[in-house]
Amino acid sequence: MLSKSDSLKIFILVTLTAAIIFLFLSYDTLKKIPDQTKEENITASVIRGKNIWESNNCMGCHTLFGEGAYYAPELTKVYLRRSEDFIRIFLKDPIAMYPGKRKMIKYNFSDGEIDDIIAYLKWCGEVDLNGFPIEPFLKVHPTIISENINTTSHKKPEIFDKLCLTCHTLKGVGNRIEGAPILDNIGQIRDKDYLEAWLKDPMAIKKNSLMPKFPLSEVTIKELADFLAAQK
Amino acid sequence: MKFKSQQISYYFFATSMLLLTLQLVYGLIMAFAHLGYDVLHDIIPFNVARATHNNLLLVWLLSGFMGATYYIIPEEVNRELVSLPLAIIQYVSLVIVAVTAVIGFHFNWWEGRKFLEIPRTLDYLVVINVLLFLAIVGLTILKAKKRTTTSLILYFGLFSTALLYLPGMIDTTNQTVDSFWRWWVVHLWVEGVWELILGSLLAFLLIKLTGVDREIIEKWLYIIIGLTFLSGVLGTGHHYYWIGAPDYWLFIGGFFSALEPLAFLGITIYVIYVFKKRVIEHPNKIAMIWTLGCSIMAFFGAGILGFIHTLPSINIYTHGTLITAMHGHMSFWGAYAMVVFSIIAYSIPLMTENKSIYTNKLSLYSFFASNIGMFGMVMSFAFAGVIQVYLERIIDLDFFLVREELKLFFGSLIFFAIIFISGVLSFIYTFIKSGLPKTIKFNKQ
Repeated sequence: MLSKSDSLKIFILVTLTAAIIFLFLSYDTLKKIPDQTKEENITASVIRGKNIWESNNCMGCHTLFGEGAYYAPELTKVYLRRSEDFIRIFLKDPIAMYPGKRKMIKYNFSDGEIDDIIAYLKWCGEVDLNGFPIEPFLKVHPTIISENINTTSHKKPEIFDKLCLTCHTLKGVGNRIEGAPILDNIGQIRDKDYLEAWLKDPMAIKKNSLMPKFPLSEVTIKELADFLAAQK
Repeated sequence: MKFKSQQISYYFFATSMLLLTLQLVYGLIMAFAHLGYDVLHDIIPFNVARATHNNLLLVWLLSGFMGATYYIIPEEVNRELVSLPLAIIQYVSLVIVAVTAVIGFHFNWWEGRKFLEIPRTLDYLVVINVLLFLAIVGLTILKAKKRTTTSLILYFGLFSTALLYLPGMIDTTNQTVDSFWRWWVVHLWVEGVWELILGSLLAFLLIKLTGVDREIIEKWLYIIIGLTFLSGVLGTGHHYYWIGAPDYWLFIGGFFSALEPLAFLGITIYVIYVFKKRVIEHPNKIAMIWTLGCSIMAFFGAGILGFIHTLPSINIYTHGTLITAMHGHMSFWGAYAMVVFSIIAYSIPLMTENKSIYTNKLSLYSFFASNIGMFGMVMSFAFAGVIQVYLERIIDLDFFLVREELKLFFGSLIFFAIIFISGVLSFIYTFIKSGLPKTIKFNKQ
């Protein structure tokens, strides 16, 4: 049977060995991280973005690299999933985006601060995380019966997927929130002029509209109106 | 109570119970928010509630450890603390820093890193406070005529805890490096040096409550802490799987962290074995029940619930979900909260010369209600977590859709939380009923 002093010796040996190996691996890790994380892409804007992220404790609701709180979405890939435009619009007025749903504080960030946050989130999304987050392998992709969602005269604007489909659905794709019409046949109900006016300022047409007024350019509004009017 | 200076423990323990109660209030705020009732959003948004809930946990546990140390060290080394006035100053300054931190959160003043939310300024004050604590205890041990293994391991655990606070103060611009250092604090505390504190506190309790020979108990203590470091040091790698660190951590972190339950299994076997071999029938049965319970729940929460999601092939799905909350709650409760409750249950009757803690009719209720409540809460997190993993990660349903589906489990969480809280409040009731420490009979030592 082990004596007490033998146990002590084993404890010391085990601890020192583990510590030495761990310190060596830590040193190696810190040397490899700059490459794996594309550290050369960390601009002053990214650093400012990180400081904004920390000084507002965004981690207190969200996760980044899967670390944080479980109250708000995982944001590692948000730059790819949602696009820069969406993030910009969202940060200006979070509650307007999802009225009646979970609340996010309206931080009143300046445009420069939003630029920095986006730079930081973009950089985070480009770090090699050894496979995290996983590909959702049971995700249902609806089969599209009609092939021509994109026709030559009614091209689907890029922003449609990243912004509109966060509340509406079209041909089974998107996330429908209550009150947001399914857009499959919107062209039969509304004409192009109406759609343009609506996109310019929803609440001017319908007083208690849940859809916020988005800062879209004239060109984008025309493209969207064209596209939607063709949905018949 | 053999030494006058031990009475300071009472105030640390009372503070622990107060902070714990506040922690539970903030826990309820968070649970109700998840359920859709974020009614306090304008004054206590979720991230404030969360930081407060987490930091109150850490402070009340540390206060409990400090109280336990101030009680145990004089008895183990057979002399008064070197300075009771200094210990009082240390106590008061700890409370001030804690209160300032919590108020600061409500005004958006923080460092915003999980478990390290307190702003850098307060970090420095924590360091000073802890150095003072270590000095008082260290000098007491140094000046004593004899030392014991239990007291030395306890001190080593506390000293290492303090040292390991420093990596959290390294400034970084790279988020990966930031996370790398953060886990030196969080992991090496709760899955490392805190286990030394846990082990030595349990050793002290076993020596007092069972009468079994110290040499046997302390020999097993060395083995347990050996297992802790064997598994836990390289097990730190299980926090390095998905943060942008090299992929060799998947194998190393996975392998060694899978061994971490052994240390906790060792604790369970050792406590139950020593209890069975007891040579005295100590009247304070409640302290013994909390001690036994701690050894079992620690293994369940830290060992088993940790193991089931530590391997990379599983963890890649569960990382950053409510599965983590499932593990976190049971492990903090079982390993650390329960040992503080055990020490309180043991020492308060001796300090106050009042048996309420173990004779009050609520004593047994508090043990069972808190544990059954916590078990129910953890099962709620488990169900919510598994469903979240499938719906959110594997099927990629919309965030709000998934959260609607999870509301049922936040409802059950609150139901069991109420049972848990009733247990904790009952314990606090028996604490209050014990009265204040009896100090009048002391002559000058």
